[in-house]
Amino acid sequence: MDIDVKIGDVQVAKDPDNLSASGIGSCLAIILYDPKLKLGALAHAMLPTRHCEAGAAGRSNPNTRDTKYVDNAIDEILTKMLSRGAKKENIEAKLIGGANMFSAFKSDIGNENVLTAKEKLKKEGIKIIGEAVGGSQGRSVEFSVSSGIVTVKIKF
Amino acid sequence: MENKLQEINKEAAINTSAALTKLIGQPVSVVISNPEVKDVKDLSPAIGAEEIVAGVYLPISGDVQGAALLIFPKETTFTLSDLLVRRPPGTTQELTELDKSALKEVGNIITGNYFTVLGNRLQAKIIENIPSFSFDMFGAILNDIIVKFAQKAEKAIVIEVEFIFKPTKLTGRFLLLFELGQIKAIMGGAL
Repeated sequence: MDIDVKIGDVQVAKDPDNLSASGIGSCLAIILYDPKLKLGALAHAMLPTRHCEAGAAGRSNPNTRDTKYVDNAIDEILTKMLSRGAKKENIEAKLIGGANMFSAFKSDIGNENVLTAKEKLKKEGIKIIGEAVGGSQGRSVEFSVSSGIVTVKIKF
Repeated sequence: MENKLQEINKEAAINTSAALTKLIGQPVSVVISNPEVKDVKDLSPAIGAEEIVAGVYLPISGDVQGAALLIFPKETTFTLSDLLVRRPPGTTQELTELDKSALKEVGNIITGNYFTVLGNRLQAKIIENIPSFSFDMFGAILNDIIVKFAQKAEKAIVIEVEFIFKPTKLTGRFLLLFELGQIKAIMGGAL
């Protein structure tokens, strides 16, 4: 089954499913994979942390995870993978996205998404084995849960 | 509120299509959607996420915060570039800095005309800022705008206008996002 992960959503899947996210700009796709179990997850997060969103912060319940935030999304996919038998020491992470599509505007949001993910994954003891981040180019990503191979598409 | 905004939006779109017709020397018609309140992360105009488009983004400031995004599919972009830079039709195969600059100017003209009507009718100061250009996947361009907007607010009044260049049937889209609370305050004052 091919599962498209929309903005702000997370999905966990097992071999032989594929996970994908299309047209990633400053959003960040966070992929976690346990190669021993052939269990994977993809989070399509928008913003670094809840406190960065000044306008909407007060309306969110801080006790409920909101997977549009990088840190909450990582918590959510990690919890789901561990509950399905994954071991933290086996999980590998890949990061895709965090661009700034309109480079004439100084915007750090893409970069902040990447830094937040790196910090959070380090704290959780998850190693990052690949990344395609930053720049001013859009990306699409396909993740084969059976092989663990992540394919990143860019425009030429 | 929606009806009033719909009426003003229609007038603004017609005014803008007239300016566009004058600029490129070909008739341009418009299809105007009704202004809708949407959760910004659920925005999904009818263009494929991986379709290559030219995007001109103009942040909006003044009495209301928001974003204006002008989208031209690849074919429209190349045809428009030929028209704007006065090349024989079918010449443009890739974009030069001059093409990008001309397309940004189209963004300025469209938003300028649109906001003149919108600002006058709403008696509000609506300022379009300097345009920025990207030629990439539509999904990634929209994604960037959504993220920028989502930093400020979750919900927006969304206005979509489709431009149709009559002789070629090529289309372009104009997407406007206004912060919901601010536009409500302005509309309340105008009614």
